[in-house]
Amino acid sequence: MEIHAVDSAPGVHYQLRVMADTSIVEIRDLTKTYLQGEIKVTALDNVSVDIAPGEFLALMGPSGSGKSTMLHIIAGVDRPTSGTCRVQGVNVPNLNESDLADWRNQNVGFVFQTFNLIPVLTAFENVELPLLLTRLNRRERREQVENALSLVGLKDRMKHLPRQLSGGQEQRVAIARALVTDPALIVADEPTGNLDHQSATEVMNILKSLSGQLGKTVIMVTHDPKAAAFGSRTIHLEKGELVKE
Amino acid sequence: MLAIQYNLRNVFVRWRATIATTLSVALVVTVYVLMQAMAGGLVKSSQNTGDPRNLMIVRKGSPAESSSIVSREQFQLIQFLPMIERDEKGQPLISADLLILINLPRHDGGPANVSVRGVTPQGVVLRPQVKLVSGRWFNPGHREVVVSRKMAERFANCGLGQSFKTGLHTLTVVGWFEAGNSAFDSEIWMNADEARSIFDRDSFSSLLARVSNTNDAAALQQRIESDKRLPLRVDSEVAYYSAQTMTAKPIRIMGSILATAMSIGAVFAAMNTMYASIASRTREIGTLRVLGFRRRTVLGCFIAEGAMLAVLGGLLGCGLSLLAQALCLVFGVRFGTMNFNTFSEVVFQFRITTPDLIHGLIFALAVGVIGSLPPAIRAARLPVINSLKAV
Amino acid sequence: MTFATFIAKNALRNKRRAALSILSVAVSLFLLVFLMVGLRLFTHPPETAGAELRVAVRNKISITFLLPARQRPLIEKIDGVTAVTPFTWFGGIYKNEESTTFAQFATDPAKLRQIFTEMKMPEEAYTAFAAERIACVLGKLSADKYGLKVGDRIVLTSSLYPNPMEFKIAGIYSGTQDDKNLYFRQDYLDENSELKGQVGMWWLKVRSADDMPRVIETINKTFENTSAAVRAETERAFQLGFISMWGNISLLVSLISSAVVFTLLLVTASTMSMAVRERFREMAILKALGYRRHMLFAFILAESFGLAAAGGLLGIGGGYCLFTYGDVPKMTNGFITALQVTPDILGIAAAVTAGLGILSSLMPALSVMRMSVVQGLKSLD
Repeated sequence: MEIHAVDSAPGVHYQLRVMADTSIVEIRDLTKTYLQGEIKVTALDNVSVDIAPGEFLALMGPSGSGKSTMLHIIAGVDRPTSGTCRVQGVNVPNLNESDLADWRNQNVGFVFQTFNLIPVLTAFENVELPLLLTRLNRRERREQVENALSLVGLKDRMKHLPRQLSGGQEQRVAIARALVTDPALIVADEPTGNLDHQSATEVMNILKSLSGQLGKTVIMVTHDPKAAAFGSRTIHLEKGELVKE
Repeated sequence: MLAIQYNLRNVFVRWRATIATTLSVALVVTVYVLMQAMAGGLVKSSQNTGDPRNLMIVRKGSPAESSSIVSREQFQLIQFLPMIERDEKGQPLISADLLILINLPRHDGGPANVSVRGVTPQGVVLRPQVKLVSGRWFNPGHREVVVSRKMAERFANCGLGQSFKTGLHTLTVVGWFEAGNSAFDSEIWMNADEARSIFDRDSFSSLLARVSNTNDAAALQQRIESDKRLPLRVDSEVAYYSAQTMTAKPIRIMGSILATAMSIGAVFAAMNTMYASIASRTREIGTLRVLGFRRRTVLGCFIAEGAMLAVLGGLLGCGLSLLAQALCLVFGVRFGTMNFNTFSEVVFQFRITTPDLIHGLIFALAVGVIGSLPPAIRAARLPVINSLKAV
Repeated sequence: MTFATFIAKNALRNKRRAALSILSVAVSLFLLVFLMVGLRLFTHPPETAGAELRVAVRNKISITFLLPARQRPLIEKIDGVTAVTPFTWFGGIYKNEESTTFAQFATDPAKLRQIFTEMKMPEEAYTAFAAERIACVLGKLSADKYGLKVGDRIVLTSSLYPNPMEFKIAGIYSGTQDDKNLYFRQDYLDENSELKGQVGMWWLKVRSADDMPRVIETINKTFENTSAAVRAETERAFQLGFISMWGNISLLVSLISSAVVFTLLLVTASTMSMAVRERFREMAILKALGYRRHMLFAFILAESFGLAAAGGLLGIGGGYCLFTYGDVPKMTNGFITALQVTPDILGIAAAVTAGLGILSSLMPALSVMRMSVVQGLKSLD
């Protein structure tokens, strides 16, 4: 596998993920229920899935199917009611708050439907945010950020504020932010939901190259079949259960 | 014109944001009203004094009773003048008083000057305002005094049966009186001759005479003031004490200054609230404009909302101050300060008047209008298309 | 970017709101300093140079009762007493004024000078004062007010004394706390008064601070059982006694200050709440990115603190400069000569600012801490 990085400086360390037989994500009997008022809602019902490293997985299903919930549990921002979810061997739901935070910082990159960039920070500073939690010094951080932005083709807009960027550009900055700590996992929740057709295609191509060329595992929730087509595999969920593929 | 309901509903839906503004305006109004009430109370404390049928006779040029001198000879001369009314026994209704100041310690430690009035028996009759509420009247010659209840509660050793020392003499409190919120409520009374003896005074301070009608009053005044032997002047008792009341102007001014300064903070709070309110309703505003509502209407609308917020606070503030006054009344909380005219302690309470409340509300209104002006202008100026696109 | 810059950017995200918050803190803290400085005038009246060695002696019944002149030699005899002067209130009215507009006291000129050392006057003035019977000295403020100068004659009428009295101005003094008074001679007053041999008060100077308690006790004891029992006290105690007659000013000021601070807290807390609430989703993202709860708490706290500190600096600093360097007598029409912004006033104001910064961020910070990432992501702006 080659690394396709534009303008990468020497010493950049995007690691090769070696394709092995072991799954990067192992989900067994994952269940999530919660109370909505007085009604008990089952978001996930005994779901079991294996995800291979480097896969570009699309999670599809109607609204309320539990796809976002599953994504959140894998990403370590939500906890299941029962079941296990191992990411790179680590049983994520078992981690305590602090460890979970650190784990997320190093192992997961988030891309949201509503971009969620911080409006008062420039593109550069937005991408830098996750790195402030690491031990890298200023120069090292700068390197990483510039690389990430180059990868998504927005280095020349480093100093722009989100309101000075188009929707597609914002999302690309968000992807750069997701990449900057070089996580193994990229999770994307309806990444093209707020984009026009052209920007959507751009973004999907970037996500695809993340999986194809950088070896990252990309898990994407979408209800758009065209977006799902970019993925290497599609899983369907309905009412918290896996539907035959 | 957009319905008041629209604004009112918005105010209540965003209650968390509005509560801070409302409360801060309420506090400003409370401080303002209570300070004005203090001033009012101070003025009222001595205003109510006197019986319209009485005439007061003091030395010409004396600023206060305590510095006035009326000699015993002068008293003799005046006592049996025909214009003075007589009681059933044929005795003239005239009293000779001695007013002196003694320094007594208050319960809260600090000392204060207290007016002690030596009265002749007629003095009590001439002042029906003054009523004994517990204990009994003093027996002359026994070093006994009666104390105004309002004073007794503030000063040490003024309980029934207790004694206090002044100079070399020990005086015992045998009764408490109330004087219908008049100047006498800040006094201690005892027998006039006994007072003259204890405090080593030959003369009296003032005379109080009852007349039956205005003709007699005028005649008496004429008779006394034209007499070269008598360096005295005659005044209606009510008018005399009226002139002694303090204006309490400094307190009023202080109250206004404080309220204004506190208002500035409240104005900022109102501004913040209104800005936030508008920011969250940008699309709504755009829609209203598209539907045909004019800029002016939007402007007026938001000013009205801000004003409403503030007036709500104002009403709350008025309520709080009325509550404070009621509680003070119930628990007998009173204040004392020095009356510059008599140089002695005067006791007073909160007295909220309707003008105070109205001014307080006007304050609140001003805060609301000023606070919502800049945000309202902004809302009116929002470009329609942008507002519609707003998230 | 550092954490500090991140916090600053967030604080200034809405410049108008930040400005309003800082200003309201500044105004309220200025008001607080103003109240405390004003209160201090009552609790700690300005110290005059030489005040530590002065004693005031008045009739025990009240200051309105007189003291017999025969007490003077007895006081002068007491070891530790260096000078004694009578001090009798005249209460005169000048020209067409309606009431007494400046105080007048009958004194002993030579002793007055010894006791009230802060009084500044040319040597000839003192000589003239001691030499002429009807001589008087007038404070600069009153002299300026009525356009009077050395050599002028004035007449004062008092209701306490039978005849008006004419005085000749021998000198204009300054340098005291009250440059408004008129001092004349007790022997001149005695001529005019039926109360010959009576004075209003005694003022005296003691040799040293160590002698003070003993001298006071001796004076009180000496006249204890006479018809003119006295109360001797330090000048400070005498001043405070007067001031306490005004009423419980401390309580009043404390109550008002509390109202001011409480209002301010409400305002800043609600502003902070608003500011944080619109960032809930951002906070959720930060959490997702790996920022821990206590870091988010710290961010909010630091932001709130920063805004409060900025306002505090402005308000307290402004108050300090105005009251310390401003022309106080001019601003108050001569009523107050100087205002003191003491370290404890500054300390209290600073503590209030700090408390404000912390308390107003408490609620929003706690709600952010408790929020789960999923909830936050779902929250609307």
